Amino acid sequence: MLPTILVDDDKCPDPLGCRKCLLACPTRVLGLGTNVAPKKYRETEPGNFIVRGVRFQACTACMKCVEICPNGAIQVALGVPA
Amino acid sequence: MCMWCERYGEGFERWYLNPANYARRLYKIRKEEIEAAGAESNPQAAGGMLGVGRDFQEARDRGDTETVERLRKAAHDFSWTIHFGQVVTLEDVHQILEFMYPIGLMTCACRRSMRGLPDNENFTCIGMGPGMYKWERWADTYRGGLNFLTPDEAKEVIDTLNMRGLVHCLYTFGTPYLGGLCNCDYPDCGGLRTVLDMDVRVVWKGHHIAEVDTEACTGCALCPKRCQFGALNFSSSALKAYIDPMKCFGCGLCRNVCKPDAIRMVDRATLPTVANVW
Repeated sequence: MLPTILVDDDKCPDPLGCRKCLLACPTRVLGLGTNVAPKKYRETEPGNFIVRGVRFQACTACMKCVEICPNGAIQVALGVPA
Repeated sequence: MCMWCERYGEGFERWYLNPANYARRLYKIRKEEIEAAGAESNPQAAGGMLGVGRDFQEARDRGDTETVERLRKAAHDFSWTIHFGQVVTLEDVHQILEFMYPIGLMTCACRRSMRGLPDNENFTCIGMGPGMYKWERWADTYRGGLNFLTPDEAKEVIDTLNMRGLVHCLYTFGTPYLGGLCNCDYPDCGGLRTVLDMDVRVVWKGHHIAEVDTEACTGCALCPKRCQFGALNFSSSALKAYIDPMKCFGCGLCRNVCKPDAIRMVDRATLPTVANVW
């Protein structure tokens, strides 16, 4: 069973600046993306970057990302949460 | 034969040596498609640098081959139409840099997605052709800006990246328009992750296969750590390098560190059983 990874975006204001979880993950399960399309003549605002589980099949549920997040924004669960 | 050479080679030895595939006309066609696609066209938003979603991984996990194959085919169709890569050797890259213009050194979107790598540490990607003139307009796509390079400067950059152990991959942006020359490694490259972890071929093997001359191999073992594809091992009993031709992507990175020159790049087409293993 693949683990489920939930990120609370409200607790994750600047993942590109912080990037602690991305670096803590031993297998690069997490991906940094944006929740908006690129805009002309403007870089995406820090608040529009988001972290998501992407490569679930490589997740060992080691919980390093959960532990390192300063805001407790990440949850990793085995199986689908109720 | 390589499907892309067949379709887009137009008499050139390889499809990516045909300058027409770097032309502006194709770029314009692609632009309309992408703008119509909207937010989903942002690869970071769409899939976090993976060519397939959780549904594919779940189907694989539960052993549902039928669903896996259906989703794999859909991923292939999408990627091969819009955005896929092919591994190329250092010599091929040098040749391309001779006729490609302009050449822009830019930041790697995969390493930003995988590690949040700051722009100033992340200039490992090369963009080519008319798309480069859009860098100011699409500030986020070209995050960190763009350094235009002369062919000689670009060759120097590529040689350095090659020594660092990065694999060169040419990428389409609306096939057959070739606009990107990525310099990739596992585990940070989204393309390599997709093809090696998921067996979804968003990166095609190259036109060569590395072959070891076991007489000349001194067993120094410098080459195995250069292989990103699990194709090159060091045989502990023979004390020689061993290459699995079925797994070799033909990047030539192993050959480029071989001091006794014991590895040579063979044209894939000359080996009947791997000629169509892409």
